[in-house]
This record gives sequence, structure tokens and C-alpha cells, in this order.
Amino acid sequence: MLDALLQALYSGVLNGSVYGLMASGLTLIWGSFRMLNLAHGAVYVAGAYIAYGLLSALAWPVPVTFVLAVGGAALIGLVIQLALINPILENPGRDSASLIATLAASIVIQSAILLVFGGQTKQLPPLLDGGFKVGTTLMSYQGLVVIGTAVVCLFLMTVFLRVSRRGLAIRAISQNMDAARLMGIPIVPTFVVVMVISSALAGLAGVLLGSILFFTPAAGFTPMLMAMVVTIFGGLGSVTGTIWAAYIIGLMESFVAVFVGPSWAVSGIFLFMVLMLVIRPNGLFGLGEARRL
Amino acid sequence: MIGQQAENPRPWPVPTTGPRAPARLLPATLPWAETNWLGIGIVSLMMLLLPWGLTLVDGGNYITHLIITFFVWGIVAQCWNLIMGVSGIYSFGQLALFQVGAFTTGVLSFSVGLSPWLSIWAAPVMAVLSSLVIGLPTLRLRGIYVVLLTLAFHELLRNWITTGPQWISAGGFGLPLVPRLGFEHVLGPQYEKVLYYYTGLVLFGLTTYAIWRILNSPIGLAFTALRDSEDYAVSHGVDPFRFKLFLFAFSAFFTGLAGGFSAHYNGSASTSLFDFGVMINLLVMIVLGGWGTFAGPIVGTAALTFLTELLRAFDLYRILALGIAMAIIAVAAPQGLVPLCGRTFHSLFGVFFEAE
Repeated sequence: MLDALLQALYSGVLNGSVYGLMASGLTLIWGSFRMLNLAHGAVYVAGAYIAYGLLSALAWPVPVTFVLAVGGAALIGLVIQLALINPILENPGRDSASLIATLAASIVIQSAILLVFGGQTKQLPPLLDGGFKVGTTLMSYQGLVVIGTAVVCLFLMTVFLRVSRRGLAIRAISQNMDAARLMGIPIVPTFVVVMVISSALAGLAGVLLGSILFFTPAAGFTPMLMAMVVTIFGGLGSVTGTIWAAYIIGLMESFVAVFVGPSWAVSGIFLFMVLMLVIRPNGLFGLGEARRL
Repeated sequence: MIGQQAENPRPWPVPTTGPRAPARLLPATLPWAETNWLGIGIVSLMMLLLPWGLTLVDGGNYITHLIITFFVWGIVAQCWNLIMGVSGIYSFGQLALFQVGAFTTGVLSFSVGLSPWLSIWAAPVMAVLSSLVIGLPTLRLRGIYVVLLTLAFHELLRNWITTGPQWISAGGFGLPLVPRLGFEHVLGPQYEKVLYYYTGLVLFGLTTYAIWRILNSPIGLAFTALRDSEDYAVSHGVDPFRFKLFLFAFSAFFTGLAGGFSAHYNGSASTSLFDFGVMINLLVMIVLGGWGTFAGPIVGTAALTFLTELLRAFDLYRILALGIAMAIIAVAAPQGLVPLCGRTFHSLFGVFFEAE
């Protein structure tokens, strides 16, 4: 019983860390420019594949490769922003156009990966090999690295939003874009920064998780769906709420998987999601935005 | 009277154009009042004769098959466009509703043993019921919530059908032996496809006509108003929830029917149709042709169905090309190809029409 509890706790925190990395990027984009980035899952997978490609081509040390892969994911985000989002930013039909544009970006990324790497499942080497046992629960060092990195990154991002000038600009834009524009905040460069940060976080999640899970070109879909659940559960656009929600959802998923059955984990979360939207439609830390987009 | 300039009943001059002009019914409000019956007659006659011509041509059977595929996906694309494009609900559950139809009639005819002619009617009914189940919690919400909940419904249904009991999933791949409609006994096996063609044509024609009537009715106007400014529409007495739910059920009916027909035509209900690629294909059909227009999804479906066959040899690059095409359209021509062609045509040749 205690072992099962420990197992659920460990994998719950692990899930929560990854969801936190994925979802805080989504919520950052949503909060600042009210755009649902459907390419987020593809960027996540792209991070893992860039690391895989660099490792098999250059055989540099694993940490260096991982940093490069995160940079690559950020670069992809930059390209998406400059080529697809910036041109339609001022259009009246921005909602549907950005939905289509980001979906198109995700298709292009996924099929490019499929062309280059093929459809077989791949796995990355871990940063740290091995692990230790607590009771019957095997805790890998890599899992702890994932949790640690996620916590540090989420903390850094919160600090960035609270302290730095650019973070202040992002918060101002998310509160009221028109007022921010009138105060002379450069809107478009801020969006570019937001997109790059969010893509880097997605790439980081991909790189870190790529050594725990197998991945295929289409593997980004389910994490993105879960990240969307987390984003909504935490209240759209609220980064603190999202981080809390990530760990709550992650723990809930693993507890359901351990104590009820693995096939119920995702279904249970979606059912919970529907209930929550009916009872508390603005999310845990909701900002009253159920009627936005 | 309709379509003509009303007599000016007032003693002072009334502007006939501009914002101060008196409201009158535009000809477009009642398009069936000035239908081009000759054009429609010629097109329908050609559509009716086409399959017989194709039976004479070498490889015509395959072209008939492609046209039937076009009918099926054309129905789904039109229904999805009605929800996504016309009324602006970002629902990604249309393919799931299609699969609800396919598996309902598949289970009833294959596992229960009903005649396919009876079971196919359960498909739209079941699809409508499922659409109400999704719609009731979803449609009070907007934007990202709808995207998420409908995607979640899609994933849950896929999960449930692939891991479901033997009589639904037959081991995860779907039902391999759904009984066909028995057309091979009517006129002989060589004319089987012709009868499927006619069935598909009837379904496609019914759907297109129903959607055309809806779009050009006060209901269609209400949907457009809801999409463009919900507050304005509400202030004029449109209940968004009721209208959206009606639209959801309406499009689910035809989507489910298309799903049932496709299952009986292909003789299988496959779980591979849940793939994200199929959904993207459908979405590209809508986006390419013209998001929110009447003719857009039809043109898009035709283009994609037949172009895909021509580009069979480059299958790996096909999805990449679709993605790039979608990105270009989203950035350069967000309204799609049909309005773009219309505008281009008008700016090139409009001179000749304005002289009238």
C-alpha cells in the first residue's frame, strides 16, 4: 500500500513537471496574445528529434546536445512567429487564421520529421544513468533530473515575469493589450520573446522526456492535449495557476492509474475536466476569461 | 417584388444606396426565388449519366470509386464547415461523429445481424445523440474550451473503440466485415458501383441542399451574426446556446449518415479513420476551398480527393505539401480559394458586367 502510494507520488510529480513545462508555455502565449498555439506539441517532439539527430550525427556530450536542441526548438518557435503569426497579427479574423496557421506549422514540422527520421520509435540517452530503489519504487536519476530542471525553469520563469522589464511588458500586454500599446510597449517584439520562451520550454520538455518515454513524429499530440487541460484547469493565462494545476493533474493522473487502472487515467482526467468546466468555468485561479478568444 | 427596387412611398427623395437607404430584402435573402433551373438541370443530368459513361471507359470503375469517396468526404466537410466556418465554433469532433455513425451501423449489422438497410438509419440518430452529449457541456463555452473538449471526445472515443469489446473493435482495428448494401444482386456485379454512386449522390445532394437552405434562411443569418458579434446577435434575440446546439445536431445528422454509408460502401468500419491525418485532410479541404463559404468545402474536397490520387507517387511529400499549402492560405488568403478566385475574376473581368 505504502509502495503503491510512493509510486503514484513519484510518477505524479514527474508527470506534473513535464505538464508544467508544456503548459506554462501554452498559457504564456494565451495570456499575452490570446492565441491557441496548436504547434506546441510539434515543437515538443521537434526538440527531442533535434537532440536525437545531433547525437547520432556529431556524438557530442549529451548535456551540450540537449542545450543545442532546446535552442533549436526556440529557433523553430521564432520561425513560426516570424513567418506565420506576425503577418496575421493585425488581421480581423486572427482567431481562426492563427488556429489554422499553427496547425499548419505542426503538420509541416511533423511531416518533415517523418521524412528525415522515419516513423520508428526513438529514444534519447539519459543525462544521468541509473537510479535507486525506495521500497519497490524505482526512482531513476533521470526522473529526478527532469523534476529538478522543471522546478528550476518554472521558478526562473516566474521570476522573469515578476522582475524583469520584459516580463513586466508581457504582464501588461496580458492585462490589456490596447492600454499596453498606448503606453509605448513594443507589442510585436514582445510576442516574439514570448513565442521563443514558450517554444524553448516545449523543446526542453521534449528533450528531458525523450529519455524516459519513446517518441514518434506524432507523439506530441497527447502531451499537448494534457497541457491544454492543465492550462484550462489553472485558469487561462495565469502562470502560477498553471504550475499548480500541472502538479495537481499529474498527481491525479498517476493516482488514478495506480489505484483505479491505467486505462482510466486519461479518460478520468477528461471527465473531471468536463465537470470542472461546468462547475467552475474560469479555472482554479481563473481570470474570468471563459468567454474570450 | 423580390429583387426589384421598391417604389418610393415617401414624398421626399430617399437614398437608394448608402447607410440611410431603407431596408429591403436583398435578392440573396431568398435565393430559391431566382434559381437557375437550367444550369441545375444540366448539371444533374450530367451527374446522373456520368456513372454509365464511366462503366464504358477503361479504369472508369476506379473513377466512380473516387467520386463516391468525394461524396462521403464532401458531406463531412460541408457539415464541419457549417460549424467551424459559418458559426465559428472551433469543434474538432466532426470526425468522431462520422465514426459514431460508421460504428453504430457496423455493430448493428455485423455483430447484431440487422439488415444494413435498417441499421444505417441508426447511424444518424446515434450521431445526433452523441452530438447532444458533446454539445450540452461544450457549447456554453467558447474558443479554446471547445477545441479542447471536442478533441478530448475524439480521443476518448478512439480509446474506447480500439480497446473496447470484441463486438465493437474486433481487436483494435475496427469491424472488418460490415455487410454491404447488396447492390451486386440488383443489376449484376459490374453495375454495383453505379448504384452506390446514386446512393452517394442522393445523400450528397440532400446535404448540400439542406445546408444551402439553412445558410440562406434567417437561421443562417443568426449563425453568421453569432460568429461576427455574439453580443449584437444576443441583443437581437438570438439565443446562442439553442442555435449552436441545433446546428451541432443538424450537422451531426448528415455526418453520421455519411459515416454509415461509408461503412457499408467500404464493407468495414476502421479505427484508422480516427487518425489525426484524416482530420487534417478534412480541415485542409475546408480551409483550401474557403472557410465559411458555401461552395468552399465542396471545391476543396474535390480538389483534394482528385489531386491526392494524381500525386499518389509522392505520398511522403503529400502531407508536407498540404501543411505548406495550409500555412500559405492562412497567411496570404485567409478566406480560401473560392472567394479569392471570385475576387480575381471580378477584378479582371468585372468591367464587362458593370456595363449592364
